[in-house]
Amino acid sequence: MIEAHDLTRRYGDFTAVSGISLSVKEGEILGMLGPNGAGKTTTIRMITGFLPPTSGTVTVDGKDLFESPREARRQLGYLPENVSLYPEMRVDEYLDYRARLEGLSRGETRSAIAVAVERCLLGDVRHQIIGTLSKGFRQRVGLATAILHNPRVLVLDEPTVGLDPKQIISIRELIRELGRQHTLLLSTHILPEVELLCDRVVIIDQGQIIAEGTPESLRERWTGNPSLRVILKDAPSGAAEALASLPGVLRVKDGGPDGSWILECEPGSDPREEVFRTAVSAGWVLLELGRQRGATLEDIFVRLTTADVAAGGAAKLEGAPPLETPAAPAGENETEEVVS
Amino acid sequence: MNGVLATYRRELRAFFFSPLAYVMLFFFLVVTGVIFVYIVGQLNNPASPGGPPLKFFFTATWLMLLLLGPLLTMRLVSEELRSGSIEVLMTAPVTEGQVIAGKFLAALTFYAFLWLPTLGYAGMIALYEKVDWGPVVAGYLGVLLIGALFLAIGIFSSAMTRSQLLAAMMTAALLFVLFLLGVFEELVNNDVLKRALGYVSIFNHIDELANGIVDTRRLVFYLSGTLFFLFLASRALEDKKWR
Repeated sequence: MIEAHDLTRRYGDFTAVSGISLSVKEGEILGMLGPNGAGKTTTIRMITGFLPPTSGTVTVDGKDLFESPREARRQLGYLPENVSLYPEMRVDEYLDYRARLEGLSRGETRSAIAVAVERCLLGDVRHQIIGTLSKGFRQRVGLATAILHNPRVLVLDEPTVGLDPKQIISIRELIRELGRQHTLLLSTHILPEVELLCDRVVIIDQGQIIAEGTPESLRERWTGNPSLRVILKDAPSGAAEALASLPGVLRVKDGGPDGSWILECEPGSDPREEVFRTAVSAGWVLLELGRQRGATLEDIFVRLTTADVAAGGAAKLEGAPPLETPAAPAGENETEEVVS
Repeated sequence: MNGVLATYRRELRAFFFSPLAYVMLFFFLVVTGVIFVYIVGQLNNPASPGGPPLKFFFTATWLMLLLLGPLLTMRLVSEELRSGSIEVLMTAPVTEGQVIAGKFLAALTFYAFLWLPTLGYAGMIALYEKVDWGPVVAGYLGVLLIGALFLAIGIFSSAMTRSQLLAAMMTAALLFVLFLLGVFEELVNNDVLKRALGYVSIFNHIDELANGIVDTRRLVFYLSGTLFFLFLASRALEDKKWR
């Protein structure tokens, strides 16, 4: 539905996006992932026709965005990063204005507003003045305007940014619901969002695509050695060395402030039993022992976007060593918290 | 056409929903009222040379447009640039020209609305004296033409910057230059220059029109000037994309 080919955008000497090509297939939810300043918003603005690219082409539903902008834009619904509405208007007035701007007739406008209000659950606030709405509701109004003209493609730029956890959950549900009827391109820097919503992921950093695939395929590709997490009471001296010498254990690392150790193991090995026996025979109190999950998307993301990019985009995919267990800030405990 | 109409309706609504509009309407009426009363008072003086009161009314009130122009237009595009609502606006299937046209027509409508109550002054005169309606209609035409040009200049300034204050200052400066050209006409000695300045002197134009003379050169001047600045405004808006 969207074909972006070799998009490049320069601001003066600064290259914000260089040579990004991506395609979103019909009915798919494509997630665009990247740290802040990676070029996500610039890419999205080029795809929606707000910014002309320095070079490259975009087609939406087979129509070139620059040769036939009207036809292409009609198939696009866009929710920008900062949803900016006219605060003095009422919700239904605003929707009416947007529908007319999209070229809907009076009758079409009425039914389009009814549908959008219902789908975005705006029924209770439709006569309210936009300036008095909470951020979550404004986001919904933004989504409602994006779907008003029933576009085939929806482009959402960081749709959950700045919302509270409850609002985030409801907006995500709404997005998932919209994904059943529209092709979706979604940008975010929140990883669980991608794992929850997207069929396919593109990771962008410093204006280039550095990885692409389904969340599963990325995870498979980047999963490193299995590892165990161990906590011994009072962290007895010599324990780390003893654990490191167990068969199947490659290395022992400090697992963070909770006094845990991370045991990196050989692929296919499971030294949990050995750890237990060692602890018992040495008289250590084993507080925790568990397997670390394989790499999450977050690990992959952190690994990819913090590595030296000088080597260049695609080369990194091939050349980079497999993932190590993540450092504390990228730990999976944090991941869980973001989700809830 | 949809784009123009939708923008027009929204902007018109925005005008009538903003307190600024009513404050402006209030002061506009106060000032025109004071001017009107003063003119009528002077003409009642047996020593005054006399003449149709509405002629003096137009030649005095048009100066207020130097202030009204910036105030009416400063918000129009700047606000969208600052708040970011320009992004959803320009990704809709509308062109920059349509957006500018819609905004301009809304401003012009509101501007005409400001003048509407002054018809009452003409009505009052008509109660006491026979009014020659030709010059009155021509006077209103003049006010409308000057207003259109000023508003177009204002929209152009507004499309140049995200700051409303800057837009207002730029409009005021441009209008002031235009105003000064008329003043300079009186001052220069060079014949060619005098004629050139006379062509763009708003003083002359409003004077002529208030006397009932509708010169097509004036129509061409104002209409082409208005279109020129509207064109510049749409280009300025388009240019925003490239930076």
